[in-house]
Amino acid sequence: MKDHIREKRYHIEIIPPKHNTDDIEADLELFREKYLRVIESGYCVCLTDNAMGRMAFQGHETIAELGLPVPPEQVMIHLNTFHSKKHLDEVLDSLRDMGVKYLLVVSGDGGPRMMRLEPKDIGAEGAATVTSVELLRYIRDKYPAFVTGVAFNPYEPADFEFKKLERKIAAGASFIVTQPLLGKNETVDELLRRYPDIPVIVEGWMTKKAWLLSDVVGYEIPTDADYDPIATLRELVRLYPNCGFYLSLLGFKTQYGLIGDIWS
Amino acid sequence: MNILVCVKQVPDTTEIKIDPVKNTLIRDGVPSILNPFDGYALEAAARIKDEDPSTRIIVLTMGPPQAEKVLRECLSIAADAAYLVSGRTFGGSDTLATSYILYNAIKKVEEREGPFDAIFCGKQAIDGDTAQVGPEIAEHLGYPQVTYALEAFRKDNMLEVHRETDEGVQIVGVKTPCVMTFTKPAWEPRYPTISRKRAAHRAEIPVLGDDAFPDIDTAMIGLKGSPTRVKKTFVPQRKKDGLMLRGESGEAAARKLCALLRDAGVI
Repeated sequence: MKDHIREKRYHIEIIPPKHNTDDIEADLELFREKYLRVIESGYCVCLTDNAMGRMAFQGHETIAELGLPVPPEQVMIHLNTFHSKKHLDEVLDSLRDMGVKYLLVVSGDGGPRMMRLEPKDIGAEGAATVTSVELLRYIRDKYPAFVTGVAFNPYEPADFEFKKLERKIAAGASFIVTQPLLGKNETVDELLRRYPDIPVIVEGWMTKKAWLLSDVVGYEIPTDADYDPIATLRELVRLYPNCGFYLSLLGFKTQYGLIGDIWS
Repeated sequence: MNILVCVKQVPDTTEIKIDPVKNTLIRDGVPSILNPFDGYALEAAARIKDEDPSTRIIVLTMGPPQAEKVLRECLSIAADAAYLVSGRTFGGSDTLATSYILYNAIKKVEEREGPFDAIFCGKQAIDGDTAQVGPEIAEHLGYPQVTYALEAFRKDNMLEVHRETDEGVQIVGVKTPCVMTFTKPAWEPRYPTISRKRAAHRAEIPVLGDDAFPDIDTAMIGLKGSPTRVKKTFVPQRKKDGLMLRGESGEAAARKLCALLRDAGVI
């Protein structure tokens, strides 16, 4: 992952088609276009796992269905705890077989009709519930070839978040992706001081709807009604020159052509 | 084995809010979903098919044209074919009239798909909560029925059914053809796959309209065939004076709770 930062390889998030889509063919075509554009740009595609608890097709099955290429350095798959054990193993087996290298392991948002891993499913009998920590351990033990990363939420109380991060790193995480930043963040600054050797990817919030960020991070974030994602990304690149950048909700029509010059 | 699964499109009750002034449901913007109990019935059929891939699963619903969406959802999960019953004369049907129409539809679908060994239904729809249609279909057909089913397994020419009871799980055998209504099991239904979703998107879904049933007794369908009369609907008053027993050990809290219930004359 350090190479990604050195080579200024953006991480671009794409959401696979939703289960309840009315036009799967149109959604798949859009997915294909975005995926290939990111790959051709030399960036890394990041595919979500039922983002915000909304049921969607898995990244691996979407890639397989469309016969898309999987350059190992250019695909990262999110994986959360809301799976049955059988489904989790199917996902991990498929990802391994198709040559995926990077996983972003998160607890996930869940939803009323989603299955959830039980501690006994993945040999974590001592745990009350399965979090990203238990899932990381399972992946490290059963699928050691994957390079795993974790999320870091600087909006949580810092002590709590750093303790959690310590457990995640002990469980095998080797890179960190922050929740979206809107500017300089003291907790992220502290993160960089504490973990100088672990690659940190800063997330940029690329929709103008800045107020949606509060739903994502779980805390009320004061935002500007005239939020400018491109200007914010430019500022983040200036503030965090030793980090990578993960872009969520990027506008492929209006913004994609602008990002190359910002981090070059 | 030939299994028919009856399904219904319902409003997602997790998204429904009550208008605090009018005390009515706010339906605007509420998405329609596959009735969750019908999803469990479909999953039970899919599990039988997992064991015996020659099993065919047909889904059937009655509703407006847009109900076709839940049929496509079922096709994307596990069903092999789907039929929509939709006609003006069916509008306003209560559970009795609905079950009669579905009975006629089942007979019509059997002409194309062959006789069904089992009819699976959800135990109830989450919008009406009557739990009447499944058992009424069984009565119309003259088939044995098993309610509160959790899971079913094929055993020779019978089905072994695990059904939920107040005491635990009861295992019963039922001869086919039969009707079963399913409740929530310990597992969630499988998800659709992309390849099935694409096939479902393209699938042709036959519509059985008013003219598909020339022999149906029109006095038994629609509003005039529906003996149910809704006299009043209301939102139960919320009681806000609940008592939380905090900071107690389990045993102490239980003793305190029993004492409170005794004092209130409940036990």
